[in-house]
Amino acid sequence: MLHIANLHASVAGRTILDGVDLDIPTGEVHAIMGPNGSGKTTLSNVLTGREGYDVSGTVVFDGIDLLTLSPEDRAVAGVFLAFQHPVEIPGVGNMYFLRAAVNAVRSHRGLPELGAVEFLGLAKEHMARLEMDPAFLGRSVNAGFSGGEKKRNEILQMSMLEPRLAILDETDSGLDIDALRIVAQGIERLRRPDRSMLIITHHPRLLDDVCPDRVHVLSGGRIVRSGGHELAHELEAEGYGSTQVAVPA
Amino acid sequence: MIANGAVADAPTSREEAWRYTPVAEIVARTGAVTAAMRAIATSVSRSVVDRLTGSHAGPRLVFVNGFYEAELSDHHDLPSGLWCGLAGAHHPPAVALAAETNNVRDIGGLFANNRTDGHDVAVVIADDGLRFDEPVHIVHVAVPDHRVARTSVISHPRTIIDVGKGSHLAVVETYCGLDGPTVTDTSTTIRIADRAELDHCRIQVESSAATHVGHTRVEQRESSRLRMTSITIGADIARNAIDVHLDEPDAHTELIGVNMTTGHQRHDTVVTVDHAASRCVSTQRFAGVVDDHGRGSFSGEIIVRPFTVATDAHQSNRNLVLDPNAEADTRPWLRILADDVRCTHGATVGRLDDDALFYLRSRGIALAAARTMLIDAFIRDITDAIAHESVRAHVAALVAATATGATANDTEERS
Repeated sequence: MLHIANLHASVAGRTILDGVDLDIPTGEVHAIMGPNGSGKTTLSNVLTGREGYDVSGTVVFDGIDLLTLSPEDRAVAGVFLAFQHPVEIPGVGNMYFLRAAVNAVRSHRGLPELGAVEFLGLAKEHMARLEMDPAFLGRSVNAGFSGGEKKRNEILQMSMLEPRLAILDETDSGLDIDALRIVAQGIERLRRPDRSMLIITHHPRLLDDVCPDRVHVLSGGRIVRSGGHELAHELEAEGYGSTQVAVPA
Repeated sequence: MIANGAVADAPTSREEAWRYTPVAEIVARTGAVTAAMRAIATSVSRSVVDRLTGSHAGPRLVFVNGFYEAELSDHHDLPSGLWCGLAGAHHPPAVALAAETNNVRDIGGLFANNRTDGHDVAVVIADDGLRFDEPVHIVHVAVPDHRVARTSVISHPRTIIDVGKGSHLAVVETYCGLDGPTVTDTSTTIRIADRAELDHCRIQVESSAATHVGHTRVEQRESSRLRMTSITIGADIARNAIDVHLDEPDAHTELIGVNMTTGHQRHDTVVTVDHAASRCVSTQRFAGVVDDHGRGSFSGEIIVRPFTVATDAHQSNRNLVLDPNAEADTRPWLRILADDVRCTHGATVGRLDDDALFYLRSRGIALAAARTMLIDAFIRDITDAIAHESVRAHVAALVAATATGATANDTEERS
């Protein structure tokens, strides 16, 4: 489903990704771990089309050259990023935003757009599963949300947009135990044979709840180690020390 | 003979209040004009007015190039205590108000022609104790004369609003027009008596070849309240001046507005709030959205007179610059001549938030739609402040259409 080969990315001449190779087959959940500054967030930004990076290499998603598409075209093609820091957008209603997003994806898939009433019913269903108060729909996007509420809002969007590839960038960071459980269950529920996931995390804790097929270590802008989900616990015991490589000048 | 519209005592951009305004261009345009005549009004029908202004409950007075159009107006069956009509109609209070507000000194230079060359004067009088919730709608349509190509038609709309003691009134003034060169020189004088409340909305959506110079003067008496929302979207060059005089204690005034420019539009908003009495509260909250080669400016003056106490005055001006070629200027101007004053002011000039834009796009929302959402969000608190629902919806649609770069006739769905 996702094939990344020799992916490089730099900002203002500074190399951040230095030849990432990664394949995620359809239906698999992969985790990427790595120390701060290893390029984890850059990888998710580059995969979703954030501007500001000089990018080279290959990223093929479902046979499409992803790097040539705009962020919105990647999204409607089925790529979703759960942000590490979801952006607060005062003045844009959560419901208005969510419906616009859902309908953009639906129309790309040849499905009829949802009217306000249909959408509201669907949103409430999804929110109930995530133990979210429907009052969230009436608020501005993420504005004044607590850390946990923002992360749940990301999972809500993911579940409503039904992506083929979901990238979760440190979705577990800053969550208390209850919120972590709800988010983990949300992710687990979205696991499907036709959906792949890439979970970027610092902490093996989330990987206990969401058992990944593969774990990769990103360090110095490259995948330096890969293994089964037991690798997460090895890293917990040993730290990244043995896997770190220097960033080339 | 002086050409109709020539300005005898024009201001210059050396004067503080005209600093950002392309005065020379305005004076040139007001010099090359043809006087409005009733004859060219025939192209305006009821449906044209509805399209340009929205259709709202409540009485409506329609003027075309400064001439009252009875066929397009609808202000019968008013409750007792509310009078709408022309200063020349045999209604002594209206005639008296017109005489009182004839003082050219109060409006000065460019606006003097409003008094000398103007035609029909709209008058709205709310008697003491009236409570009327539907907005009184005063519509001025500027219509070019296509028989005289490249010459603007000039008109001098004048409106008088008198809100009696303890009464509550809502007024909407819409300045709109048909495509072609027009010059509109407006004057609105408002008096709000003791304990009275006025909700006022001024909407300027004239055509892209129009020149608009507007002046609104408000006098507030003891414990009166004003909420004024000013929407400036249209015209090629537009200046919107608002002077509020808080002449007696405990008056409250809230001035809210937005201007949106694109193309080569120039919009200037010039506000003065004069605290001449104690314990008055004023708020100025203006936002500007400038795109393309547009320029928008806000000059907000607060005067606090000597020997007043417990003044509370606030001003904010936020600007969103959408294009590197666009320009936003903002200038607070505080003249505080008393000690017991709480005064705040703030101004910002910024771009669209790249993080927010990427967030929306990453959810599948196309760039243009995402920009529209963020522009709309930037000015949402301004448009939401409009009290009357159908006016608010009309303005929201105008703003959204402007934000998408579409024509004002298309409406955009909002949550």
